[in-house]
Amino acid sequence: MRYIVRRVGQAVITILSVIVLTFLLVRSLPGGPMDYLRAQLMQNRTGRQVSMAELQSLAREYMNLHPGEPIWVQLYYYVSSFLQGDLGQSIWFGEPVSSIIVKAAPWTLFLLTTSIILTFGIGIVLGAVMAYKEGSWFDTSSTVVSMFLNSVPYFVAALLFVYVISIQFSMLPQSGNVAPGLEASFSLTYIGSILEHAILPIASLVVTGFGGIALGMRGNAVKEIGEEYIRVAHLRGISSRRIAIRYVGRNAVLPLYTQFMISIGFMFGGSVILEQIFAYPGLGNYLLTGITARDYPLMMGIFIIITAAVVLCILFADLTYSKIDPRVSTGSGESY
Amino acid sequence: MQAETKHKFDVDDPIFEVRNASVTFDMERGESKVMDSIDIDVDRGEILGVVGESGSGKSMFASALLDAVPKPGVLSGEIQYYPEDGEPVDLLDQSESEIKEIRWEEISMVFQGAMSSFNPTMTIGDHFEETLQAHGRDISEGMEYADELLSELYLEADQVLGSYPHELSGGMKQRALLALSLLLEPEVLVMDEPTAALDLLMQRSIIELIRDIGEERDLTIVFITHDLPLVANLADRIGVLYAFEFVEVGPAYDILTDSKHPYTRALLNSTPNLDTPREEMRPIEGKSPDPVNVPAGCSYHPRCPLSDENCVQNDPPFQSDDGDTDHQAKCHYIEQTRREIPLNLQEVEYSE
Amino acid sequence: MSETNETFTSGSSTEQQTARSRRSLYRERLDRYVLTPLRVIWNDWRTRLGTLIILFYILVGTVGVHYISEPQIGGPRLAGIFEAPGYPLGTNNLGEGLMSSLVHATPPMLKMITAGAVFATGIAVALGTVSGYKGGRVDTVLSTLIDIAMTVPGLPLIILLVVTFQPTNPFVIGIVLSINSWAGLARNIRSQVLELRDNSYIEASRIMGRSTGGIVYDDILPNIMPFVLISFVNTARAVIFGSVGLYYLGILQTPENNWGIMLNNAYSAGGALYSWDSLYWIVLPMATIVLLSFGLVLFSQGTERLFNPRIRARHAETIDETSPMEE
Repeated sequence: MRYIVRRVGQAVITILSVIVLTFLLVRSLPGGPMDYLRAQLMQNRTGRQVSMAELQSLAREYMNLHPGEPIWVQLYYYVSSFLQGDLGQSIWFGEPVSSIIVKAAPWTLFLLTTSIILTFGIGIVLGAVMAYKEGSWFDTSSTVVSMFLNSVPYFVAALLFVYVISIQFSMLPQSGNVAPGLEASFSLTYIGSILEHAILPIASLVVTGFGGIALGMRGNAVKEIGEEYIRVAHLRGISSRRIAIRYVGRNAVLPLYTQFMISIGFMFGGSVILEQIFAYPGLGNYLLTGITARDYPLMMGIFIIITAAVVLCILFADLTYSKIDPRVSTGSGESY
Repeated sequence: MQAETKHKFDVDDPIFEVRNASVTFDMERGESKVMDSIDIDVDRGEILGVVGESGSGKSMFASALLDAVPKPGVLSGEIQYYPEDGEPVDLLDQSESEIKEIRWEEISMVFQGAMSSFNPTMTIGDHFEETLQAHGRDISEGMEYADELLSELYLEADQVLGSYPHELSGGMKQRALLALSLLLEPEVLVMDEPTAALDLLMQRSIIELIRDIGEERDLTIVFITHDLPLVANLADRIGVLYAFEFVEVGPAYDILTDSKHPYTRALLNSTPNLDTPREEMRPIEGKSPDPVNVPAGCSYHPRCPLSDENCVQNDPPFQSDDGDTDHQAKCHYIEQTRREIPLNLQEVEYSE
Repeated sequence: MSETNETFTSGSSTEQQTARSRRSLYRERLDRYVLTPLRVIWNDWRTRLGTLIILFYILVGTVGVHYISEPQIGGPRLAGIFEAPGYPLGTNNLGEGLMSSLVHATPPMLKMITAGAVFATGIAVALGTVSGYKGGRVDTVLSTLIDIAMTVPGLPLIILLVVTFQPTNPFVIGIVLSINSWAGLARNIRSQVLELRDNSYIEASRIMGRSTGGIVYDDILPNIMPFVLISFVNTARAVIFGSVGLYYLGILQTPENNWGIMLNNAYSAGGALYSWDSLYWIVLPMATIVLLSFGLVLFSQGTERLFNPRIRARHAETIDETSPMEE
């Protein structure tokens, strides 16, 4: 019980520190957000001077910043409005940041969830088979292939896929999340179009990712197979099939858990570049736009949301881990 | 030369007849023979202690009795098993499914590492149920019997069955493992250093338990250890292993008080004892042989104070210089052995 | 304790004995710490190949840059591989030789990798060891810190930092890029240290009165070396991927060359993806990136054998199996 409290507390601290961090970062930007805002506004409303008061009210509106007040107060306003769901207004898109996030998040989540499931699914199965056939040519060649694919950065793979499959062979669309103009519905065409557009981005992540998992799984499984209780189980007459699944498989998967958690964070980060390449309207893409357009509210909002998502996922995984691995008591907290 | 007795070492009702059993491993530097043409009989219902140093091949012998020598080792020879009712069976001749019916149902095994004999992610109870299922037994009946077994071993059945291996102490795990091996009511129990990782008190109590259970259920027990004094109080007969073969076999009392082989005597002399003064403690000089490179002739000759040309050239057969065919040793000079190598035991404690 | 009988030896031969034993001590040290690992590395095809690849890159980055001149505009444009004389790997749309671009992008990349890996590993070892060894309050605070560092998603944070501070020094960039990867290693080290701390041989060292530093150096460090090496390699890969990605996106700017920039140029300016002809332009930097990563992966896969003492013993020559080094 104490462990749960501790972990949740940790998660809360993490999210809060990220909020504070972004807040401070923004304030330390060259020129500061105030000047920037002024410059932006001056660009938009040519010729007109912007008064300090107007600037301040705009700042409050767009970014929940209260310039002129002591820093602690500013921080307080920022955090409190954030927690109330008000993330400010996007300068570039002219919409509330929160609505942009609500629009974009499902797409990113869709891509990432599918990618992680596939990567780990394929990786674990492949790793198990490799361990079973240890030393065979299948094992050696799979090892080399896995290592090689793992050395390719996912965006390199993405570019290559786009090149070969989209442009040269025109088999799959190059960008977007769905064919333009299609009505959102549960119809087969709509869903089919979504899938079509999702294959390449997902493939980039999965093809470059499964190798690492497979190699890890293989190593774990090989170690498991050498364990004494496997021999005892065999002598007890337990079927090879059950040994493979319940003894070797189950126990070999457990250490992959840390990798799983790292992958969650990694993939959220990876979505930034990936969505840019595929012009996929997800969180990563908007984040990038926010950065290049110096749209601070958008930038900060998405960054904080992404972090919060990762933290929550990891927290959830952490708390449920003890259900799977009985060696970990929720009291010790030393789960990885 | 002694006459070929029908049963080795005067065993009347053998449950095992091992003839010319060897285990070889093919290694880069040569062929490694970790069991060297062993002949021995095991009497039904007896407790046979098999004693040897680390690396003398005793674990191989244990595995061989279940035809479970780890790959890539190759077991050759003949091991006849005589079940209580039914035809004698050559273990090495059995198919995979046939031997599965013998293992654990007729011949069971308890390993040294109780720490690592259980799957860490399964409860003890799961292991029991799983074993019952694999052998097609009725689960509820089987688990009732398991409860009985555990209580006999002074374990709280509900608590133990519901626990995971890491939640139990070493002694509890060892006893749970013992119960698991008895679950299918086997005839034979092969125990490979079952008490090695336990403290002395626990060791003693488990030995007692083993003896009681063995008597009650009429088990044949093959108890393998490096600890000669430990098995002294338990075994009916003792076989001494050296360099991957038996060098002396006989009734326990005889072996302890009147052993015929120089190695056995040296082993007894080297056993530390609280009463023995330090100067009299004598380790055995030299190292045990490398399985790829066993000395020709008598395998013990490099370390034996009595060895001569004869010993270097000729491998001694089993013999007994006083006609006791139940107590024999592989030595050319049994009589001299008794003279030349006195035993420094203050007293021999032996209880019936 | 053995007592040497020195009745018949004179003073000078005792000195000789000490001198001889010191020499053999050095030889044993050399063999144990340098030659044996080298022999094990050479023996396993994975580490052998990986090391060769890595050495090749280092060579190109240090020595090669002197032999191959900097890329200059003005050469024949968009020449394919082996098409134009003097430009074996072709040129881009500005006539810069691709080979010289690739080569000259290597030193900054190497600097980034070194800086990042050293930084990440150093911090991880320091924090992990202290946290595990000290325990208590210190441990709780440090673990929380490590956890936070681990869960904050790397790339967005790095992008934010880069945009805010606009670093141009490759060493600094390397450090920024590895800001996330030290956390995993720190965690591993911490659990290892926690385990080891209660080990009997460490307690024995403590009873013998060895200094904490001595204990850490002799008892703890060798056990965490496998993790350190693997993490070193992983950080290197993270730096490579991160830097290339960021340069490709244009978030990191540098007037110098970089494989990521080459990718960017090839993609946008050259439309390399749209025709078979200019394919080499984008594939070459890709291949360079993949090859270096592959070398690193190979190396790390093979190093597991390096830390298996039985395998080391097989390859050692002066070491007698169980003897400690004489002091």
